[in-house]
Amino acid sequence: MNQHPTRSSAVRQPTYADVNRDVIRTLWAPSPTYFGWMSVVGLILTAGILAWTWQIYIGMGAAGKRTPQNWAMYITSFVFWIGIGHAGTLISAILYLFRARWRTSIFRGAEAMTVFAVMTAGLFPLIHAGRMWFAYWLLPYPNQRYLWPNFRSPLVWDVFAISTYLTISVVFFFVGLMPDIAAVRDASTGWKKRIYGAFALGWEGTDRQWRHYRRAYGLLASLATPLVLSVHSVVSWDFAMALVPGWHSTLFAPFFVNGAIFSGFAMVLILIIPMRRLFNLYPYITDRHLDAMGKLTLVTSLILTYFYVCEAFTAWYSGEHFERASLFWKATQNYAWAFWLQYFCNSLAPLVLFSRRARTHTPTLYVVSILVLIGMWFERFNIIVPGLGHDFYPYTWGIYYPTVTDTLIVIGSFAWFFILFLGFIKVMPSVSIVEVKETLPHPVKAGHH
Amino acid sequence: MVKLEGNPDHPVNRGTLCIRGQAGLQGPYNPDRLRGAMQRRDASGALRPVKWEEAEKFLVERLTGLVKQGKGKRIVVVSQLESGSLGRLLDAWAGALGAERMNYEPFNYEAIRHASRTVFGRDAIPHYAIEEANVLLSFGADFLETWLSPVEHARAFTRMHALKHGKAGTFIHLEPRLSLTAANADEWVQNAPGTEELLALAILRVILDEGLQAPGVDIALLRAAASKVDLQSTARQSGVSGEAIKHIARTFAKAKPGLAIGGGVAGTSAFAVETQVAIHLLNYAAGNVGRTVRFGPDSAFGKAAPYVGAQLLTQRMANGEVDILLLIHANPLFALPAAGGMAEALKKVPLVVSFSDQPDETTQRAHLVLPDLHALESWGDFSPREGVIGLMQPTMAPVFDSRSAGDVLLSVGRQVLGTPEGKGPLRWPAFQAYLKDQWRGIAREYSPATPFDQFWEESLRRGGAWKEIGVVPVQARSAPVQGKPATVEGDPQGLTLLVYPSHRFYDGRGANKPWLQEAPDTMTQVTWDSWVEVPAEVAKKLGLRQGDLVKVASPHGAIELPAYISESLHAGAVAIPIGQGHTAYGRYAKDRGANPLALLPAPGPAGLPFLSVKVSLTKTGGRRPLAIPQATADQDNRELARHVTLPTARELELRGAAPEKASHPSMYPDPKYPEYRWGMTIDIDSCIGCQACVIACKAENNVPVVGKEQVAYGRDMHWLRIERWQEGPAGHPETLFLPMLCQHCEVAPCEPVCPVFASYHTNEGLNAQIYNRCIGTRYCNNNCPYHVRRFNWWDYGSPTSSSHAFPDPLHLQLNPDVTVRQLGVMEKCTMCIQRIIAAKDHARDEGRLVRDGDLETACQQTCPTQAIVFGNLKDPSSRVAKSSRSPRGYHVLEELGTRPAITYLKKVTREHGKA
Amino acid sequence: MAASRILGIFAHVDTTVKAIRDLRAEGVRDFTVYSPVPVEEIEAAVEEGRPVSPVRLFTLIGGLTGTLTGFALTIWSSLKWGLVTGGKPVVSIPPFVIIAFELTILLGGLSSLLAILVLGKLPSIRRSTTYDPRFTVDRFGIAVTCPAERAEAVRRCLREAGAEEVRQ
Repeated sequence: MNQHPTRSSAVRQPTYADVNRDVIRTLWAPSPTYFGWMSVVGLILTAGILAWTWQIYIGMGAAGKRTPQNWAMYITSFVFWIGIGHAGTLISAILYLFRARWRTSIFRGAEAMTVFAVMTAGLFPLIHAGRMWFAYWLLPYPNQRYLWPNFRSPLVWDVFAISTYLTISVVFFFVGLMPDIAAVRDASTGWKKRIYGAFALGWEGTDRQWRHYRRAYGLLASLATPLVLSVHSVVSWDFAMALVPGWHSTLFAPFFVNGAIFSGFAMVLILIIPMRRLFNLYPYITDRHLDAMGKLTLVTSLILTYFYVCEAFTAWYSGEHFERASLFWKATQNYAWAFWLQYFCNSLAPLVLFSRRARTHTPTLYVVSILVLIGMWFERFNIIVPGLGHDFYPYTWGIYYPTVTDTLIVIGSFAWFFILFLGFIKVMPSVSIVEVKETLPHPVKAGHH
Repeated sequence: MVKLEGNPDHPVNRGTLCIRGQAGLQGPYNPDRLRGAMQRRDASGALRPVKWEEAEKFLVERLTGLVKQGKGKRIVVVSQLESGSLGRLLDAWAGALGAERMNYEPFNYEAIRHASRTVFGRDAIPHYAIEEANVLLSFGADFLETWLSPVEHARAFTRMHALKHGKAGTFIHLEPRLSLTAANADEWVQNAPGTEELLALAILRVILDEGLQAPGVDIALLRAAASKVDLQSTARQSGVSGEAIKHIARTFAKAKPGLAIGGGVAGTSAFAVETQVAIHLLNYAAGNVGRTVRFGPDSAFGKAAPYVGAQLLTQRMANGEVDILLLIHANPLFALPAAGGMAEALKKVPLVVSFSDQPDETTQRAHLVLPDLHALESWGDFSPREGVIGLMQPTMAPVFDSRSAGDVLLSVGRQVLGTPEGKGPLRWPAFQAYLKDQWRGIAREYSPATPFDQFWEESLRRGGAWKEIGVVPVQARSAPVQGKPATVEGDPQGLTLLVYPSHRFYDGRGANKPWLQEAPDTMTQVTWDSWVEVPAEVAKKLGLRQGDLVKVASPHGAIELPAYISESLHAGAVAIPIGQGHTAYGRYAKDRGANPLALLPAPGPAGLPFLSVKVSLTKTGGRRPLAIPQATADQDNRELARHVTLPTARELELRGAAPEKASHPSMYPDPKYPEYRWGMTIDIDSCIGCQACVIACKAENNVPVVGKEQVAYGRDMHWLRIERWQEGPAGHPETLFLPMLCQHCEVAPCEPVCPVFASYHTNEGLNAQIYNRCIGTRYCNNNCPYHVRRFNWWDYGSPTSSSHAFPDPLHLQLNPDVTVRQLGVMEKCTMCIQRIIAAKDHARDEGRLVRDGDLETACQQTCPTQAIVFGNLKDPSSRVAKSSRSPRGYHVLEELGTRPAITYLKKVTREHGKA
Repeated sequence: MAASRILGIFAHVDTTVKAIRDLRAEGVRDFTVYSPVPVEEIEAAVEEGRPVSPVRLFTLIGGLTGTLTGFALTIWSSLKWGLVTGGKPVVSIPPFVIIAFELTILLGGLSSLLAILVLGKLPSIRRSTTYDPRFTVDRFGIAVTCPAERAEAVRRCLREAGAEEVRQ
């Protein structure tokens, strides 16, 4: 086992039993702090649900949308949350295929983040639709009138891409969890044992089970990898397939995929740093992990900056009046603050991660991660709101103002995500017991490895 | 009743209507319309419903009391200008009871009448044959908005002005403000307010000096008038250069015939009569009288009582000389300047009876309210000018418990006189019988050879009777002119106040119609409010931004209005439209904007002086942003509305050059259209920006009214909008009007993005929108480069919703052939698909295809200038196919490759800089 | 009773591997190995001579089904409806590729899950008699099913390999 010496490497190397004990310990008896957080998040979520209810009752006018901004914060948040999900799949599937062993202690949290982020994102098309009660018309189900969706519409691609993404992420997540749930089952008693037993599906860890499991897990990872790249490409085509100046660009697919992963890494850091502290997981989530995450964040930030330059350059070099006017307006007029905020958060702030000290200094990492999340949210905002605000037709140019309703719904979506995540860390092992053990030296009698 | 459309046979409108005509239906269906007779039992009490019989009995008692005592003169009957049988009935009624009778009309153009009497000895307002003129010279006359007969003028204007066979007339307009009419001018000349007479005389002087006058005119008379001015001082006082004056004079005199008209604010200054005298002299000098200025087919407005009558009435009332005041469709409390003292005078009248069907300001103060039927619910006739009499029969059952004023007056009159039905001066059982009786006389005059019953049947079917009226020759006799700028009272350092009639609300009568409130004022694009137009320089000095509240004070009063900053208004003036500022008149009109008449003095001998005071502006510090749906008038070089110069257009026409449409190669095969491909052309050279089509579309297609806040926030629902674009110097721009609606693109960006096929292309070339399939993703509207799709942000359709747009009984107007859209769906122009379907059904019944001209869209139908042509593009001989091949044709944003089904024809501009 | 089930519990990987090898040498074929983590060495010892896991076949069939379903659904329903949007052909293959791709992944993934369940004989409600909860913590187990007469040899074999515990 090739372990880097890090500042926390003084911690004694855990044994198999330690891993079980340390991880399963996180599931018992939540602290008052935990309940405190749950209540705060729960209250915000309630406000969000009430706001949505109001919007359904009174009409979409309750949200601040208008002509030309027929889309605004909901689609911004939709793209944001889908993007967040991508890092989870990247860590769990792509890094798995590349055998990057450092992923083991964080991939579970990242996967959970993926599932919950996609669940959050999936709400937004519903929240956004003028008649959400008919949103099921997007699905191709047989019906008397032979009505089928329009498969030429990027929104139908979205439906397929996102439902596939959610399904595959859940499958992948669940398959990974199965042996761990079995471990929790074996460590618990009474009704808990029965419930975990049910979820473990009778896992015993026999050679036959492991054989097929390992093979299938590898295949799932190979399927998830092109999937994750396709999902954000499809999401980007919601924009790229449209005519709107600043949207109609072939750059969008890689630009969006990279941005998604970038924001996802930031979210992973935001989740695991407090989790490590809360559950005392220092032996498993070490500075080495943070360092690696920091590097990836930095790399994706640099790639993103390259795309930003490309985007602006294309707008200028195209000579297209509409494209130039749109870009110029974004950079100098009403939404200039959001425009420059995006560059500061996504291109400038992550540069501190060139410093190794910054990459392992949790407060710095945390601040950078939060800035990245803000920056990435505003990146999508800048594409959508100012992008639509100054398009082809000067008559309808306009400024979007958020309302209480749509602001509460967007904030509520964060509460929804965090409440799912907070719930998850108390009922499921948030660090993979099996994979962490795999990275430890096998217990051998002969005393060699 | 679902929609109003003009009578295609009528010589005045030829089937088209103005914006106010289109909105007429919101009168009978107004939710605040009075629902029955009402009476105020005691002076302090409120108006309460009363039985019609009781109300009539009460009125009879009070009238009888006075008539018996021989005090009939203390009864006064006031009406608006009623040029038909009702007017005559009122005269007869007043005569029978010995009562006083007067009419008044807020805009009565009496200065023209006075001037005609003075110059030509004829007390009339002549007919102006605009279509015959080669050069039209207007001194502030807003003839495309309200002046005399705007629909007729608009049609005539297009006929004289549009390029046809290489020829096109020229329109020169002098006005301090860039009004809608000024924006349509080939040469808009900005003059200092009140210098119209001066300019007319200066032009006359140039004509005389250069010997350009027509042969046989009385040169001595003309020279006497013209010598009051000289070119240099006129140029100094009016701000119009001597060169420009010379240029106008030459253009005008050489037109043969030309036509000079005067009106609007210019026609209502202290020297209004002198201005009109000077204009008459111009026409006389250029030889236009008898050719384009025709006495004989005189306007009905010549019969309106002079304003001074209203002032005398006010004095009599104030002196307690009036005991009973009967108001028939007159709202003097709103329509007269407060300075006249009408409000105080009204208090002195013991019994005020209003026959109004709307809760207007005066009716709110009446003691007895006997709501009349709406014109659509009753018999009636109206003569807009000599030789034309429209005849109306009831087209709908009364919505509420109203009674015809004619019926009530006949019945009451008989009871007062004690004469039975069939006898006496008021023998007719009902107004219908009276009207028919009146038409016996008309029959004798119009068609002596036809038996009356046949004439009556024919007139009913035709909608009236008309005949040619010969032109009466006149000679100029005297020419009393002033030769100096109109006097204006108030602070000499102040700004001259221009109060002008609104083309949407007229004198304020339209303000209770939500369609008119929501239709943007074309030049400012303001909806739902009124404003004070402040020149940019003044605004800068005062630190005013658009929407800042300003106190406008004159010697007669003060009002507060939000500022509209104008780059083009004369720097020495401010302008306020009339029509808003009601204190009553229903939910849509009440407490909206301010009434500028509060700033004006009482009417004088020259009529209502709309241009008579200087005002001072004070910033109050408050704000009330205006609801303006158009973000900017600058096209940002996008060439949405395009123009060509007249010589180029001529050349293109001669060469028959193909339209310069970009070719858009496509990887896909061209779509096939088995029978029809519907399409449209819109000639923006003909579009005058009157907005009639906007309201026609609203009425036809059940488009909801959304209110000021929603319009201000880009959520208006108009399927069709009139955009105003400006090019060139901000102070003197070229204005282009662009009616924008769904372009029904062949390669529609909105269609493929819809996930549920709610938007798709029919095999007739229409971009269809299936409301009940729409789930409201709004992707289509993002992707529509024209943004002509409209989303139902709120629940406008259901009666239980707080946003319900059709409160009882407005819902009775809804078109049953068109869905009222639900919350959360997208909607847009359908090219009146219900009319297409009806036409196809009709054609199928006859075993044929739809022929060109079988159907018109609502917007096309009402367009006074017929700028819109709709039809089947597949048929190469159809009007639309021909006009879409015009060398002036282009597509808006054609570089996007959307291949719209609507072709626009470029505006033809004249050379600038001469004026 | 002809067969007996014997369970050996081990604390170490090397001892477990040795036991497997020894058992194979004894000619024992029918045994199940429990382990808390997948271990290459154990797998290598167990897998000797066994065919490759058929999971990939599941995935392949699932994926191809997805591809075909994607094209079939889009083309058939577009033709059924026959509506033109944006001047594009009714059957527009490029966007349909996206649907087919997503369905490939979806059905491929779901059939992989199915493979785990079917091939791993899951879900099972009861634990097998030879299961021990420590197998999810840090113990390895070898459960042997053999004729009663060979039970003693197997027990000895397990003990000699280093089993902590051997039980019936």
